[in-house]
Amino acid sequence: MIAADRAKDTSGLGNSPLLQGIAVHKDYGGVHAVRGVDFRIAQNSYVTLLGPSGCGKTSLLRMIGGFEALSSGVLELDGQSLDGVPASRRPVNTVFQNYALFPHLSVEENVGFGLAYRSLSKAEMASNVESALALVQMSPMAKRRPRQLSGGQQQRVALARAIVNEPRLLLLDEPLSALDRRMRKDMQIELKDLQRRLGMTFLHVTHDQEEAFALSDEIIVMNNGRIEQQASPAEIYRRPATAYVADFIGGANLAPGRILSVAGETAVIDTPLGRFECPSVAGLQEGDKAVLCIRSELLRLQAGEGGFEAVVTHTVFRGAEWLVEAKTQGGIVISLIVDEPEPPLVGSAVRLGFDPARGWIVSAPTEG
Amino acid sequence: MARSRTGFWLSVPVYAAVVALCVAPLLILLAYSFFQVSFVAVLKEPTLKNYVRILGSETYRWLILKTFGSGLMVAAITAVIGYPVAWFIAKRVVAAKSAFLTLLLVPLYTGDLVRIFAWRMLLGAEGVINTFLMAIGVIREPIGALLFSSLATHIVLTYNYLPFMVLGLWLAFEALDDRLVEAAADLGAGATSTFRRVTLPLTLPGLVAGSLMVFVMVVGDYLTPQLLGGASGVTIISAINDLFGTAFDWPLGSAIAWTMLAILALAFAGAAIVISRSSLGKALAAGEA
Repeated sequence: MIAADRAKDTSGLGNSPLLQGIAVHKDYGGVHAVRGVDFRIAQNSYVTLLGPSGCGKTSLLRMIGGFEALSSGVLELDGQSLDGVPASRRPVNTVFQNYALFPHLSVEENVGFGLAYRSLSKAEMASNVESALALVQMSPMAKRRPRQLSGGQQQRVALARAIVNEPRLLLLDEPLSALDRRMRKDMQIELKDLQRRLGMTFLHVTHDQEEAFALSDEIIVMNNGRIEQQASPAEIYRRPATAYVADFIGGANLAPGRILSVAGETAVIDTPLGRFECPSVAGLQEGDKAVLCIRSELLRLQAGEGGFEAVVTHTVFRGAEWLVEAKTQGGIVISLIVDEPEPPLVGSAVRLGFDPARGWIVSAPTEG
Repeated sequence: MARSRTGFWLSVPVYAAVVALCVAPLLILLAYSFFQVSFVAVLKEPTLKNYVRILGSETYRWLILKTFGSGLMVAAITAVIGYPVAWFIAKRVVAAKSAFLTLLLVPLYTGDLVRIFAWRMLLGAEGVINTFLMAIGVIREPIGALLFSSLATHIVLTYNYLPFMVLGLWLAFEALDDRLVEAAADLGAGATSTFRRVTLPLTLPGLVAGSLMVFVMVVGDYLTPQLLGGASGVTIISAINDLFGTAFDWPLGSAIAWTMLAILALAFAGAAIVISRSSLGKALAAGEA
């Protein structure tokens, strides 16, 4: 079912992907870090690998970079297997999590490090280094040493050091995690801009969904060594393939239930909140255990009849709106956005409703 | 003010100890090196005669050269042996790391003499090695050169001081971030190139520290050449010992000691200048490597 979705998602991106993984598997002495995943990364796209820590995203990145061998499966770059190709010969460069700048070399020596392995004249090398540093606005720091730079500046140098080699694929391993929030926002915009201008393919590992949304053409959501979904940010948000994705991305309200009937792309689900007819993932059948996902911003306070009842447990002021948490009669905790000057009182009973056409039904998680 | 004066008085014992136990004896030695001996009395009339004698004596020049040569050679050998050992302990051993380090240091817990005599059992004409080689028919006569030779001295000096080299290098390898090695590979560097451009420059401080320790200890080692070197066991240190002891020529002994000190100080100063001008030195000065 997930595979079918993915085939549909990637069909628009052309037939020959830059990077393709087929049944890529990694286990560390019995611990399965990556469990036979398939994926395709299109040329000139910004793709993020999103997942909680320990989901296998870093292992996958390290296999692509050539720092770990695959336990089984195939990685193909431009249609050529990467099997047996050492990291030093892959047209892939990495921006490491803590930058890994060489402390004994100056900024420009760091950036020029990889150029020594290509047939370039001294003058060409110098001009390439210069333009890479200009690209990340670090030209004035060329003579400094990494330790004399701030985190954000080191980040830029690490970026310049990788892109100066004009890799086919640039890997970024949680590159923004060490920066403060403000700097992170700025760097997100710059990274995206850089990728567009260079026409390079970026594969970016992160655990931050906001970051993934801000940057990506496509997001690959990983959990527990598997790929849960690969799709555009909007698709992932609106039509999550699994309950895990729905919960992990933006924390949807989830109401477990059972499918009563299926008609084309919609299904009727019976939940503690009531019966709803909503769009659903493909492959559901009558009687299946399923989960209804309702985004917080879709829920409305309802004055009259209909909808379902809940008791307000928390209200949080968020500036533009209130985030209200409420508990329904079935014990399901629901959060909703209230766009009014004052929120309902804590402890008061409210009636909630939503447009069923914007709900979403996925199958219930099999594990746990 | 009061506080800084308290600090001053508190630090006085330290300075006093350094001056009394370290600086003063050296200065007395320096003073003696300008005196001379007449029969059994030391004449306290300043002269450069002792230094002229050292410079003019082929024996002393040769002994000094030999001692520094031994120091350099043992430092080089221990570096070559110690480098992979230190890498292995720092980067490949996980659980048994402290066990490995303890094993490395165990020989140091026994005394110098015990170790030296243990080596005599191994290297002697009727020692373990000769007996074994004769038993399996590789040789007919015991190899006499194994013991009481320059070879024996250097084998044991290497054995004795290898742990210090390994410790210095081990610390450098522990501080070396593996991701830097990965980054080098990522940027296109093969194994040799990674070693030359990343691993070696970043472990150089450990190599320098280890080499200095080994060099200084080998130069100052008195027992090993005496007990294992046989005819080659005469060193500049034993010469100084003889001058202070049986020969009763303290001024000449002092002059030799100071000549050694001066050469060492010059060599270190030279090395310091070279290192501080290199890019590594600048990184070191900035507290980076």
